[in-house]
Formats: sequence, C-alpha cells, structure tokens
Amino acid sequence: MSTDTEKATGQTSPLRRRGRTTDLMVRWSFMFPAILLLVTMLAYPIFYTIDISFSRFDIATFGAAEWVGWDNYREVMSDYRFWESLRVTMIYLVIALPLQVVLGFAIAYLINVEWAGRGVIRALFIIPMVVAPVVAGGMWRMILDPLWGIMNYWLGFIGVGPMDWFGDPTLAMAAIIIIDTWRWTPFIVLIATAALLALPKDVFEAARIDGANWWSTLWSVAVPLLVPVIAATFVIRWLGAVKMFDIVLAATYGGPGKATNVINLFIYEEAFRSLRFAESAAMAVIVLVLTMVLTGLFLRASRKLEELF
Amino acid sequence: MGTVQIRDVRKSYGALEVLHGVSIDIEDGEFVALVGPSGCGKSTLLRMIAGLEDITGGDILIGDRVVNDVAPKDRDIAMVFQNYALYPHKNVRDNMGFALRQRRVSRSEIQRRVDDAARILGLEPLLDRKPRQLSGGQRQRVAMGRAIVRDPNVFLFDEPLSNLDAKLRVQMRSEIKELHQRLKTTTVYVTHDQIEAMTLADRVVVMNSGIIEQVGSPLELYDHPASLFVAAFIGSPPMNFLEGDFLDATTFALADGTRLRLPTADPKGRQRATIGIRPEHFTIAETGWPATVSVVEPTGSETQITCRLAGKVIRVLIRGRTATRPGETIHLAVAPDLVHFFDAAPVPAVAEMEDVA
Repeated sequence: MSTDTEKATGQTSPLRRRGRTTDLMVRWSFMFPAILLLVTMLAYPIFYTIDISFSRFDIATFGAAEWVGWDNYREVMSDYRFWESLRVTMIYLVIALPLQVVLGFAIAYLINVEWAGRGVIRALFIIPMVVAPVVAGGMWRMILDPLWGIMNYWLGFIGVGPMDWFGDPTLAMAAIIIIDTWRWTPFIVLIATAALLALPKDVFEAARIDGANWWSTLWSVAVPLLVPVIAATFVIRWLGAVKMFDIVLAATYGGPGKATNVINLFIYEEAFRSLRFAESAAMAVIVLVLTMVLTGLFLRASRKLEELF
Repeated sequence: MGTVQIRDVRKSYGALEVLHGVSIDIEDGEFVALVGPSGCGKSTLLRMIAGLEDITGGDILIGDRVVNDVAPKDRDIAMVFQNYALYPHKNVRDNMGFALRQRRVSRSEIQRRVDDAARILGLEPLLDRKPRQLSGGQRQRVAMGRAIVRDPNVFLFDEPLSNLDAKLRVQMRSEIKELHQRLKTTTVYVTHDQIEAMTLADRVVVMNSGIIEQVGSPLELYDHPASLFVAAFIGSPPMNFLEGDFLDATTFALADGTRLRLPTADPKGRQRATIGIRPEHFTIAETGWPATVSVVEPTGSETQITCRLAGKVIRVLIRGRTATRPGETIHLAVAPDLVHFFDAAPVPAVAEMEDVA
C-alpha cells in the first residue's frame, strides 16, 4: 500500500521514467504489425510508383533508371488516348453513381414497409455483392449476348431489339453501367435500409398527424433526414467506382473500339501489355491526385450538408 | 366540439391483448391525464386516439363522429411527442406552419397563426432557428406551438416532459396548465408521473395492465383510492401499508403478533385486510403505535421520518421540524377518517419504483 502511494505521488522518479519507456514500447509493439503491413502493402508501392513516374524505366532491373523529371507526365498529357479514357471514366461515374445511389435508396424506401418474406428478399439482395466481379462480368456477357443472350430474347417480347450490346459504343457503356449497378445497388440498399430503420419514428408520425401525404413525407421528412447518410454513401461508392476495372475487363475489355476503356484498364494495358511502365506510373499518379482532390471535395460537401440538415 | 368518447376499446398485438376494454368519456375542454406504470397501455390508448394505432375492438368518438377508420390528419387532433418529433431541417417557423401548409392555408394566414402561437409561448426570438439550436425546453415549446397553430379539437400529449430535467419539468408543467386555461382545448395527457397527472388534470385515469383502475379528480383519487394499486400509485412519498388480521373491530394484529389499535373499524368488516395510511397523515403523539426512528430527513418546510414498526418500514411526513433523533421511539397517531382499508394483498411494487423515478 505504502509503496503504491510512493509511486503514485512521484517520489521515485527513475522508476516512473522506466515505466514510461515500457509504456511507449508496449504501445509501439502493438502498432508495429499494422505499420509494417501498411508500409509494405501501401506506402512502398505508392513511393515506387511515384519514383518510376519521374524516371526512365529499366526493364532489365525492373526499377528506375535515370531521373527524367516531368518527361513522362508531359508525354502522357499529350496522349489523346489518356484523355479519352478519362472521359470514358467520367461518363461512367456521372451516370452510374447517381443512378446507384438513387436506385438504392428508392428500393430501400419501398421495401421498408413491413411485409412477410421481407427478410428473404433482403438476403437475396446480397447475392450480387458476393459474386466475384469477373464472374459477374462473364455472366452478364452471356445474358447480353446479341445472338443467344436472354436479354435480347426478353426484349423481343416487347418489340425491342435485337440490340448489339457489346458492338455499339453507347450500348456497351450502358451494359457496363447495368452490370455495375446490378452489382452495387444492393450494397446501397443495405446501407439505406439500416439508415431508414434508424430514423426517428415519431417524426414520421408527427408528419402523418400534420397531414403530410406520401410525397411530402418523402421530400420534407425522409430525404432531409437521410441527407447525411446519402452523402456518406455517395463518397463510399465513389471510392469504389473510381477503381472500376474488373467488370470492364471481363465484359467488354474496353471495347468496342475504346468506348468502355476506363482509365484503370488503360493504365493496366499500357503497363503490362505495352510495357510502358514509367508512363503508366505517371498516369496512375495523376489519377491518384485527381481522386484525392475530388474525394476531399466530396467529404467537405457532405460535411457541409450534415451541418445544414 | 372537443369531446372524446372511448367505448370498450381493446387492442391486441396478435394473440396478446394489451388493452382489455377501456371506456372513458372526456368532456369538451376537459384536461384528462392517463397515468400508470410503463406497459399499462396508456400510450397505446393515446396513439389509438391519434390514429397511429389500429383499434382492435370498440369505438373511439371525437366530437360525435366515430373515428376508428379516420386518418390521423382528418381527426382534428394535434399531438406532442416525448422526443418532440420536430422536423430537424426546418426552422421553428416552418415546423409550426408545416401542418397548415399541408392544408393549403394561405401564406399570410399561416404567418399570422404562427406569430400568435409564438407570442403565447414566448418563441418569437427563436422563429428562425433550427431545432438543434434550441434547448430541450424550447424544443418542447415548439412542439406545443406546432400543436396550437392548428387550433385542433383535441390536444394529445405523450409524456411531453419526460426528457426534461426536474426543474424545467416543473416550469413546463405550469406552462402547460396555463396554456390549457387560456385555450380551453380538450386535452388528453399521458404520463407515468403521478405528480404531473395530479397537478395538471381535471380528471385522472389510473391505468394498470390494460385496464382502468380508477377515474376521478386528483383529490378523489388521493382521498378515496378505489384499489390498493391506486393507493400505492397516487401520493408521494407513497402510502404506508400494513397487512394483518382483525381480532375485534379495532384491534389489528400484524404477522409477528404486534397488535395495533385502530382509530376506526373497517366499514366492510373484513377478517383480513391491508390498511393504508399516508405518510403526511401520521402525527407524532404521546400515545399511539410505537415505532423506532431510523432516518430523519429535514427539508426545511417539512421533515420525513423513516421508522420501523414491527419490522415494517413506515414513512412519516410532518410539517416543520422535529427534535427526534434516530434510535428513539416515537408514537404514531392517525385520524379515523384517514385510514384506508383494502382486501389483504401484497402491495404493488410500483409505489416504490415511481417514488425513485
């Protein structure tokens, strides 16, 4: 008891200092595995990429040869194909993201009503998320096949088609967006369902007593209450969507022509097919910076929205 | 016409019946409090009047109209919720005007009515604020404002003060009472706090596990509780109870053999009974029931003495101060008309719980 008090009151300072060192070591030893993992898996590849983006790449040593400054960047910036795939990526993002978020929340709002079998439907909704993206791409390739795909067969019943899903540039982009939406909307439905369940019920009851109809309940109560969640969901989905690669790889491989050649696929092609590692590293860095800037903007905007509502 | 008639109303969730046939007639302009422990069905009943819950059996009439199948918005009622239920993204003015806007009331009329309500409730400086910029008391005042701008036939309050701290609760309580005296709108007020019910209501409905125990004015309930439950529930600190047998008309024997002389006989002449005496009805006398003092708690205006009588805890509340010390023996006396007799039964636990709350 008395020694405890001595320690606590700081009578024996060497003991205390040793305690602090031990404490620090314990802390760092706990953090060490995570730090090691992050450094090898994240920091090293990023710095390696930045390094070779400013260098001439030597295939023999598989590393940076000599410092060339902004040369790689200048070359990439003057490559129309780079701008073209950025444009394609933008088209995909601008259509797919709002579509998925709106669809996800709309479906959640509609299936939020109590009904038998709701749990089963919710479970079924998870399936697209657990299917491997390459499998999803391949599966949809079959569904959308112009000759024997079931989609054109069905569309035939309502007098539409036959549509050349992967031959027409516009339709190919539409196909990619459809597949991506099929895959990711359920994820948003899950988030939205959880958000809807967490909303205060009494506000909706107050709206019922105040005489709000379905439409004004939606716009005056549900949507404003959900705005912070919608914004957060948008940012999460954005972070996933900018990485778009696998579905395009499996379904269209960027075609027809370059119609669905999203930036990640283009970088991948340039690096591992054309072996232009330095240039693709430069492109990767540009995309990284762009993504970080836009993500920062979205986060700011969503925080602003949270303050407003 | 703001009358509310509740006729043999039942509510079941599946096979579970939570309201077993409840009937109340509420006059125009009357303030009725539904009070009872949690789970007694008081909130369910209120929500059925509001139209937020279906009615399983019986009828609810507002005015002269059966409203069983009328939508909440068409019942001409306004409700104040425990968690205020304000629209978080609308400012105070829009919160209060929302119902009128849904009814296509003209802009100038909305403005006039919101301003009126704001003046009554002292909300004028806050009209442009959002709910999150308001304190709990202010939010509840906005919720009340939202109700009064509609000028409904009936106000429904669902535990409106439960989320406020004790001091604010007392203040808001008198504001609600003042509001009712001014507007004279029929009011149904749900609370688990018997003090709130007693101080606010013209009539109190005491409910317990889905039935009505007693309906009456606050003082009727206090003076003539119809059941052990009402006796235990109404009054703070709660009534003291002693269970025992009558040896003759006025000699009452407790379980351990202690004999007490009662100042009056049981009007129903029971063999076994539970007698109840309120703490404030005891007087300390020269002769009477001997009790050993264990705790003395002075509050200035009154003193609460906890003592033991034949092993039972007895609370005594006397006006003013006392020189009595713990360990001493005091003698308790009670006037004949202040002893309550009930059929012998264990005392409902609710008394102690509500006292703590």
